Amino acid sequence: MSADRITPAMVTSSTVADLSASLSSLERSTEELSSGRTILEPSDNPYGASRVIDLQSELDGLSAYESDAQSGVAWEDTASSAMSSINSSLQRVRELVLQAANGTNDQTDLNTIATQIEELTEGIKQDANAQYAGEYIFSGTLTTTAPYQQGEDDEYQGNAETISRAVGPGATVTISTNLSTLLGNGVASEDGKLLDTLRTLVTNLRSGTPEGIAAVGTTDLQSLDANLATLSELQSAAGSATDQLQAALARNEDLQTSIAEGLSSTEDTNIAATSIAYANEQAAYSAALRAGATIVQESLINFLQ
Amino acid sequence: MSIPTLQGLQTALSGLVAEQTALDTTGNNIANANTEGYSRETALLEPNPPLPIAAISTLTGEGAQLGAGVSVANITRIRNVYLDVQYRTQNSALSNAGTQAEELQQAQSAFDEPSSTSLATQMSAFWTAWSNLAQAPTSEGAKEAVVATGEQLARTFNQLSGELSSLSVQTGEQYAALAGAGGEVERYAEQIAQLNGQIKLAEEAGQQSNEMLDQRDVLLDKLSALANVTVSEQPDHTDTVTFGDAAKPLVEGTTVTWPQTLTEAAGGQLGALLSLNGENGALGSLRSGLDGVAEALATSVNEHLEGLEPPAKAFFSGTTAATLAVAVTPAEVRASGGAAPGGNAVALAIAALRGGTAEQDYATLVEKLGSDVQGARDEEANLQSTVTAINDQRQSVSGVSLDEEMTNLITFQRGYQASARTMSAMDEMLETLIEHTGTVGL
Repeated sequence: MSADRITPAMVTSSTVADLSASLSSLERSTEELSSGRTILEPSDNPYGASRVIDLQSELDGLSAYESDAQSGVAWEDTASSAMSSINSSLQRVRELVLQAANGTNDQTDLNTIATQIEELTEGIKQDANAQYAGEYIFSGTLTTTAPYQQGEDDEYQGNAETISRAVGPGATVTISTNLSTLLGNGVASEDGKLLDTLRTLVTNLRSGTPEGIAAVGTTDLQSLDANLATLSELQSAAGSATDQLQAALARNEDLQTSIAEGLSSTEDTNIAATSIAYANEQAAYSAALRAGATIVQESLINFLQ
Repeated sequence: MSIPTLQGLQTALSGLVAEQTALDTTGNNIANANTEGYSRETALLEPNPPLPIAAISTLTGEGAQLGAGVSVANITRIRNVYLDVQYRTQNSALSNAGTQAEELQQAQSAFDEPSSTSLATQMSAFWTAWSNLAQAPTSEGAKEAVVATGEQLARTFNQLSGELSSLSVQTGEQYAALAGAGGEVERYAEQIAQLNGQIKLAEEAGQQSNEMLDQRDVLLDKLSALANVTVSEQPDHTDTVTFGDAAKPLVEGTTVTWPQTLTEAAGGQLGALLSLNGENGALGSLRSGLDGVAEALATSVNEHLEGLEPPAKAFFSGTTAATLAVAVTPAEVRASGGAAPGGNAVALAIAALRGGTAEQDYATLVEKLGSDVQGARDEEANLQSTVTAINDQRQSVSGVSLDEEMTNLITFQRGYQASARTMSAMDEMLETLIEHTGTVGL
């Protein structure tokens, strides 16, 4: 300001204005330091504020996808262990079938084998009723209904719908396994699936007829092997779903790290820089106070006699 | 013609009177050093008409002119009217920007972004609740969480909309209080009209009205904060004041015409209040923006619940921020498209709305509000420094400098002493004449 006359009122008002400007920047730095954030309200950085909203939501979304994928992995683990258990039961059935087909067994032995197979069949049905977090995992979307009832009734109680987990924006992984493609609907349906095969086996073993015994080692064994192949397909499908989930988890983790970094660099206080600014502002403020305290006191009056 | 005998005494007396007046003026300046709107005054001294003395020179026979002392022609206030005009223009603009900044700042506080309780955070929590439901579609807890976060979100919309509405109402009330009958505008106008009358009378009587002029200028300054002010001084020393974009002058002579209708173009605080609440005003567009977000949210969520078999109830009711509400009970929340309890297609689809239109529109709204506040504040700060600079210039012209007044005090005091000494000298001269003349030989 190039003012020719300077009056004490001008000095006072500009001193007060300078002091309050100095104090307000000091207050700002204090707030940034104590809150740890550089965007305290949208007007501090309008673009940054909207970016914080986007990034925070993205981060929340990633952690939701993470928890989705993790629960998917746990679901698949349950499914895989149930299917492995079915697999080992089937291996045992196959051994029994081979033993029954070698022609050295009398009817009592065959009956014993039939009983063992019946027990294994019940076990397989139990495995098929595996649950994850209170839901039946092999019932399609009818997760509150057990897919198979214990005992004679071999009809599949679930549906063919699938269940998916979201692992990323627009990316889903199907985690449900349709076990009815393996177990089928039992002997009544004559679908050649596992339960049909096992029931037929037992009937043939108990029949005591040469045709029956012959069928055990031939058609029944073939049918059993076909079912074993189906099971291993299902197992590998479940394994690949797990792989997809794991890959998504790893990607998710990387993304979370980089987005959290982006968020932090947008909204967090740069402590070092702000601390230095704070120290400078404090020094400037006390200098302004000191100058203000002395400058306005003096006038010609002090020197007149 | 010779010099009147007592002329010297008269000249000395005129000096004493003039110096005393100048001293009094200085004293008055010092007394008013801190008075708002006071313009410093100076006594304008003028030599008296000289006394012609005929044929004083014996050589040429010509006359001469003898000075006859001094008189006070006028006590003028030192003021630059152009600075007043500039000050008032900028002051209107400053008050306009300041009001905008203040009101928008309040709207911004209502939004409370970014924080852990803001609408954005709650929307995010709402999507997460749907995502959790997709993981456990049969879980009662997950359904309750969906409804609870939905209700919380709807309430936040309702509250925010309510706060923006009441801000609008307050803005209207503030305008009514300032511009209504008996408000600040009318009070200032009446005082100005009254001063107009007094100044006119004083000037007609040939009296000075410096103090009243100062008072009137202070009132005009205050009026300029409320709306644009144009002042034209009439030949009879009254001010005609036009205010904002009012059709008739607010003050003309001693007549006040108020209330009158103003529009956004009025400038100043009143113009800002009108523009904030106006058709395309900031508060209105914030509210409609928020309504848009609420509608986008409700529509996008409800969309996924339409046409299902068995039919599902719409999750949200209401399409404005004020009316948005959750329309279902936890038991009625649908995670799947069909009747099967374990399906999660709907929950997955709704959880995937995260980052969609509603959220983007909201982020844009916050960004717009933030830059509006920032812009208004920057403008306010710029205008503040302009106004301060103009005010400093006014102070530089009209303000009282104590150093200067002290110097004047000494100058006039010495002048007074010297005039008194002149009088003594004259007195001694006359004493010689009266006491010692014609006594020779007595």
